[in-house]
Amino acid sequence: MTRAEFLARIRGEMGKTRGLFEASPASRPARPRERLDLLRRELAERWRENLERFAREFERVGGVLHRVGEAREVPNAIARIAGERQMKSVVAWHGDALGLDVAESLGARGLATSAAPGLEVSATERGQRRALAAAADLGVTGVDLAIAETGTLVVVSGAGRPRSASLLPACHVAVFGREALVESLRQAGLALEAWHEGAPPEWRGASINFITGPSRTADIELTLTRGVHGPKEVHAVFVEQGLTVARRV
Amino acid sequence: MSEVAPATPLRERAGRALEDTFLQQALTIATTKFIGLRREAFDEFPEGEALRDQARAIKEATLQRLDHWLETLIDNIERRGGHVHYAASAEDARQIVLDIARRTGSGMAVKSKSMATEEIHLNEALEAAGVTPVETDLGEYIIQLAHERPSHIIAPAIHKTKGQVAELFARELGRETQPDPEVLTRIARAELREKFLQADLGITGANFAVAETGTVVLVTNEGNGRMVTSLPRVHVAVMGVEKVVPSMTDLTVFLAILAKSATGQKLSVYTSLVNGPRRGGELEGPEEFHLVLLDNGRIKQIAGPLRESLYCLRCGACLNVCPVYRQIGGHAYGYTYPGPIGILLTAMLNGPESVKDLAHASSLCGACADACPVRIDIPRMLVELRKEVDERRIAPWPERVVFGALGSLLRRPALYRLSARLGRLFQRPFVRGGAIRRLPLFLGRWTRTRDLPPVAARTFQERWADLAREGRR
Repeated sequence: MTRAEFLARIRGEMGKTRGLFEASPASRPARPRERLDLLRRELAERWRENLERFAREFERVGGVLHRVGEAREVPNAIARIAGERQMKSVVAWHGDALGLDVAESLGARGLATSAAPGLEVSATERGQRRALAAAADLGVTGVDLAIAETGTLVVVSGAGRPRSASLLPACHVAVFGREALVESLRQAGLALEAWHEGAPPEWRGASINFITGPSRTADIELTLTRGVHGPKEVHAVFVEQGLTVARRV
Repeated sequence: MSEVAPATPLRERAGRALEDTFLQQALTIATTKFIGLRREAFDEFPEGEALRDQARAIKEATLQRLDHWLETLIDNIERRGGHVHYAASAEDARQIVLDIARRTGSGMAVKSKSMATEEIHLNEALEAAGVTPVETDLGEYIIQLAHERPSHIIAPAIHKTKGQVAELFARELGRETQPDPEVLTRIARAELREKFLQADLGITGANFAVAETGTVVLVTNEGNGRMVTSLPRVHVAVMGVEKVVPSMTDLTVFLAILAKSATGQKLSVYTSLVNGPRRGGELEGPEEFHLVLLDNGRIKQIAGPLRESLYCLRCGACLNVCPVYRQIGGHAYGYTYPGPIGILLTAMLNGPESVKDLAHASSLCGACADACPVRIDIPRMLVELRKEVDERRIAPWPERVVFGALGSLLRRPALYRLSARLGRLFQRPFVRGGAIRRLPLFLGRWTRTRDLPPVAARTFQERWADLAREGRR
């Protein structure tokens, strides 16, 4: 069936309806980019409360929050998580997307680390990178939004921001600063509207993932089990200052 | 007609379910747990009630301009390099997916949980065409290994014990193991990880599609939805036309209530917003993205009696609270969609003949409408279905005779009064302790499991008449 035939069929049925009640979709914010910038300035005043709320909710869904003062302390925090679990290999986002370069400093701490390239690479290299991620113990990513209400990390894929880093390794470590914090799902919705309106075209094709805790299932006798397909553990490292990232939303 | 009618009558299917002691136990535990989790989630979310009203309004508003929103969705998906296909029937949808599989030379397809692909019986068609479908949701994987069908919309394998799953894994995968959910899950992870990395084709449903951005949204807890949409070369999403929502703002309204209604989580672990094929610079993502828009009886209901069931989010909340579902479970319904909403969806997909028995598999208590995140008035539509089944003479003849007789009785006051008097006379030998406990002949089937209240010594009408006389005096 063609698009025209299919839509004609729908219009035909729509024409037969009678006595429908008045209803409208949610009203979308006008000029979402400006509204978001304004909101971000307000949120900057309340980041401490929002972080506390995020911590509570994130831990409730099985996440582990670590706090560091400055960006340069991040590699240590990651190395500690890896060390406690005898993990040896790491895949990470590109330095620009993450806000800091971890490959060298983690390598110096004995972790075989590969950071994603920031540009398009050949299909062969993509295959190799995927195999690396599948074999890695730990994946390091940035965070585009951290939603306090639900303890959710939002990550947007793109160049230098592989989806697999938060998916294939058994342990995911996400690094974020206070600018990523929003209070609610509603505010995240505003960010998504802004992303839709104002993002450069090459960003828009991305896959956006809301991650709320480690992968889980209750499919066998309703017994909660972690790490079915995605990571068994999710850690978030909060960096109080000095993390500068080109956020995508 | 897209689905084959079950081989045995509902009475028999329900009877078997009632005698299955494990099933009874599993159903009670699962549905009770889901009910509790849902209640807690909404108790600590006071804005939830207003959001449910808003979600309902968004669904209705979208339906009122469905052509517009679908066109917007299609345009935006095509702008991103995705392809959209149009399936009037289950057969069309299967053919579209098979053509894509053939053209891309796909030998194996990994699937994330999808009721739409269950509804069109895609797996059988893929197998027949030489493409191996692999279900990757743990519950669906278990069901597929056991050659069964899901028994709950969101917990497809709740009717299985961990012991049964361990036996199944030993038999089908050659892995001897303890009946421990943790160990069983680890085995499934390893088995399926291989498949994710090998598969050429990823097949999903869609929880929503955002028209304004051309985004297909998948909600999972396990992460299989992310695997299926990121690793294979080709991604095909099969989606009912009613799943489109206008904007990201609308989407967040649904996200705020969906998981709470389904599992009591604030959000499911993964909400994936998929925007077509891999973009330049990305390491993963499919080279091709296809969306199959599915009619299969839905479009006719835009102006039909089941219109409201097009609001359904497939959360499963109405199943958990339904006194019938809680007793007989999903399989006894006999079709893809079980539970109260399932009866309506079955009628939508397969016509009213398919639910001539199922339309009565409800006590009309209203718990489903109460639990529904978008407040679908399921009991009202069940009553309408019963009426349609009767009017179109699909219902069994004894039922039509009895209803016809009752109908004419209720329309004629004199006859009604007379029959009350006659009833009082004839019931005398059967009334024991204020109830009719056993009726003779074929009527005995009714009283076998319940009492029949007798005609009162003085009917309401008689007492009313007395009161009216007293008032006048």
